[in-house]
Amino acid sequence: MRNLTNQLLLFKKYIHELNSFRAVIQSRCYSRPTSFPDYFQNPIFRKEDQLKLIENNELSKLASVPIKPPAVYETSSVYHDPLVNKVINHVMEEGKKKLARSLVEKAFENIKRIQIERYHLATTPEQKSKIVLNPKEILHTAIENCKPLLQLTPIKRGGITYQVPGPITEKRSLFLAIKWLLEAANEKERTVHFPEQFAWELLDAANNTGKVVKRKQDLHRQCEANRAYAHYRWQ
Amino acid sequence: MSVFIKYSKPGSLGAVFNVQVLWRFNSTTAESIRKEEDEEFRVLDILKKKDRQQKKQIRRADIQPDRADRMATDQNWGNVWPGPKTFHPSSVPLPIRQGYVPKGQAPPGKKANAELMKIPNFLHLTPPVIKTQCEAIKKYCTEWPKLLNSEETIEKHYPLEIISSDYCHASPTIRNPLARVVNLRIKLSSLNLDKRARDKFLRLIGDRYDEKTDLVTFIADRCPMRKQNLDYVNYLLTACYHESWSVEDWESEKTEEDMEYYDWNNNASKRSLVNWFLKCNNEEKELTDEEYKNFDISKIPNAEGYKNAVNSLMNDGECDATLKTYGSSVRKLLGLPEKKVT
Amino acid sequence: MFTRNFRNICRRYSQSVTFRTTETSPVQQNDNQVGLFYTIEKDVCKKLFGHGGLPKSYMKQTKTFTETTLMIRQPALDVIDCIKASDLNKPAIRYVLYGETGTGKSLTLAHLIHYAHDAGFLIVHVPWVSEWLRRVPRHKEMSNSQTREGFVDLPLDAAAWLLHFKTQNQTLLKCGDLKISKDYVWSKREQTSAGAPLAELVEQGISRVKYACDVIDALVYEIKLLSNNKQCKTFVAVDGYNCFFYPMTRLNTPTKKKVKPEEVTLTTTFMELTKNDWTNGVIVLSVDQIAVPEDHQESYLPKYLLYKKGFEHLDPFVPVEVGRYSEKEFLSCASYYRDRLWLRGPEDLETELKLASACNPYKFMELCAPL
Repeated sequence: MRNLTNQLLLFKKYIHELNSFRAVIQSRCYSRPTSFPDYFQNPIFRKEDQLKLIENNELSKLASVPIKPPAVYETSSVYHDPLVNKVINHVMEEGKKKLARSLVEKAFENIKRIQIERYHLATTPEQKSKIVLNPKEILHTAIENCKPLLQLTPIKRGGITYQVPGPITEKRSLFLAIKWLLEAANEKERTVHFPEQFAWELLDAANNTGKVVKRKQDLHRQCEANRAYAHYRWQ
Repeated sequence: MSVFIKYSKPGSLGAVFNVQVLWRFNSTTAESIRKEEDEEFRVLDILKKKDRQQKKQIRRADIQPDRADRMATDQNWGNVWPGPKTFHPSSVPLPIRQGYVPKGQAPPGKKANAELMKIPNFLHLTPPVIKTQCEAIKKYCTEWPKLLNSEETIEKHYPLEIISSDYCHASPTIRNPLARVVNLRIKLSSLNLDKRARDKFLRLIGDRYDEKTDLVTFIADRCPMRKQNLDYVNYLLTACYHESWSVEDWESEKTEEDMEYYDWNNNASKRSLVNWFLKCNNEEKELTDEEYKNFDISKIPNAEGYKNAVNSLMNDGECDATLKTYGSSVRKLLGLPEKKVT
Repeated sequence: MFTRNFRNICRRYSQSVTFRTTETSPVQQNDNQVGLFYTIEKDVCKKLFGHGGLPKSYMKQTKTFTETTLMIRQPALDVIDCIKASDLNKPAIRYVLYGETGTGKSLTLAHLIHYAHDAGFLIVHVPWVSEWLRRVPRHKEMSNSQTREGFVDLPLDAAAWLLHFKTQNQTLLKCGDLKISKDYVWSKREQTSAGAPLAELVEQGISRVKYACDVIDALVYEIKLLSNNKQCKTFVAVDGYNCFFYPMTRLNTPTKKKVKPEEVTLTTTFMELTKNDWTNGVIVLSVDQIAVPEDHQESYLPKYLLYKKGFEHLDPFVPVEVGRYSEKEFLSCASYYRDRLWLRGPEDLETELKLASACNPYKFMELCAPL
């Protein structure tokens, strides 16, 4: 019981951090140095952000600051979503972004078709109102459900490597969630296409069931079991 | 003193010299002492002001000012510079500069400037001089034919146009390689070719024909001399002209596919139209090719517009506009309502 | 403040846009209903398009939307007006639908077939010519023609088409008014005698697949004869007609010889049907870029796609362009998608989608899919 409350507390803390989550995805981290010096600011390409700037009268400050050009995926389009972009980048192999994008979009289409079908099958209005039709919403909840709260780090003490539980950063947990979802989606029959499988995985994860959520829970259980090693983190 | 004289050997130069020096030495010391007494104090002149004042420029009084400066502004230039001549600074009253210098410096002036003297100049060919010279040789010219009074008549009687260029420029040689190029221009209509010959002529000359201006242009630059090139373009025109008039055996084998022009009358389109018309009037007839060709389409209502539409579709290429006219003409032909414009 | 007002207006407007009409019979539809959707009843849809005729992506949509709806558009109404205005006793008039890919040529054809069904035409509909000539599954049934020297039969395809023909015209065929004019001897034991109903001929082709191509040949001959005698009026619809004129098919004879489209019996049969030497008929054809390989897809205009040969075969025909959505059609389509839950989100979405899809119907549908 105490563990559960502990976890809940942790969870609340992470909910609090959710607001910073947007910043995590939207920030641009380059593995290599770019051609722009460090004093170049990141572009503000969303209309709502720009409006916020205008309200706070911060626009004039930016007027004289050099700003990087926005990347192709940073659009002011109505259906722009940073998390979706992130997932597309994770799906991408060998820089084939167009393909990755089409795969993710097809998965969304499949989700939508499945959900609309369910909607039409549902008989009462209450049931209907429960069904989430927006595939992006499903993706968001799925990833939220898959994010681990703890992680195990191997630490060597006295010739033995212990799996030591510890807190996890926001960025790492997001990375693990997407990675696990994609790994689960790629574990499929040869005849099943990726978009279909990915759609099913997302729907399962959004329901808090399925392979990925189980994997997360396994990790949590392991952390719980290895609680005794926790002091190795600082000793 | 006496001691010195005593011991000197008479007849020896060196000894004498020594004696004199010594003597002088003794006497000068005596003199300097005396001067110090009567001369004033000498001032140490480090900057040597006195010497500087003394240096004076010596000028010859008989040199004249430059002739170029003395020239009158309204003089007759033709008299000053009557013929081709190497550049002379004093004869040219112009502030000319010429020469290559490092960046930021002004080029050297005209005096003693080899750059100016090297190049051929055209100072003797000023417009008034040319004018006067032309006036002078006018009496040897024949009169311009009175009937050639307009561009059209000139074009009519002298359709052939030869264009070549002469070049004047600074270089060791006066010949320019571009001077050998000869252009020959002629209006195609002035050649009086018939339809077949015109087609053949155009095929022979390829892209040398400009449809907009109706001009045929031959350019020759393959020979080293202009005369040769001129002969060559004349030969080309003559050869193409006569070749286009000659009819070869294989020219009769030309078929519909080779023609760049679609003739509706001997095509399947007319045949199908005639068939359709006969079918409409319930006449079953088997027509020969000749009959199809000569079928009078004025009997069929709206057929003329249809014919034009097919012709333009085939000849001008398929585009939205031609297709639209085709569609509306077919609708008229078949008696269908017009397409509604939304 | 202004933006909020504007949004409210937009919302109210988008809700008030009517996108449906209750007029389900194409015979009654008129210009007032342009841009509106009408529903095809389920049994009619199954009857007309049960064996193909609607594009695959559209079938998927109908499943998701739980209904088959078509937008009433100008080109279809235009052709219907022309059919109504024309004199059927004159030779059959050919209409050629053309347009960019994804503008709805096949669906316009489907609309016209529905019209023909309601107006009591005998429908001869080829869902997609490339299915015969260009799609080669691993084991394509092919055989040399028994009756015609140097020709190739596609018996399975032919039988499948006969089935399609049968289901489409079940009511007309059941009446039994349509009779065969002469005896057809298939083999020593099998023959179809004169005076037998047309349905028997079709049945013969379906049950004895070997003779399916010859049956179609006979069927076309009979249909033309019946139409000429004013016993029925016929509506011919061929989708992807220009495939008949592309110089090569992808078929190979067992001896690895390439087959030209003229050497396929089905081609000659349908060429015969699309001539205008018969009356009491309407011929609607569509030419499509994707019916031919990529090397001949530079333009979507009919003369280019049909080649000179095809043009001369069809001349004079009525070209009917199927264009992109107009402003009104786009709005009605967007509100229909919203109604069917296919499109969700703020109102600005429409403007953006309109720009991104350039009002191309198929592109619009595709762009809406992941939203």
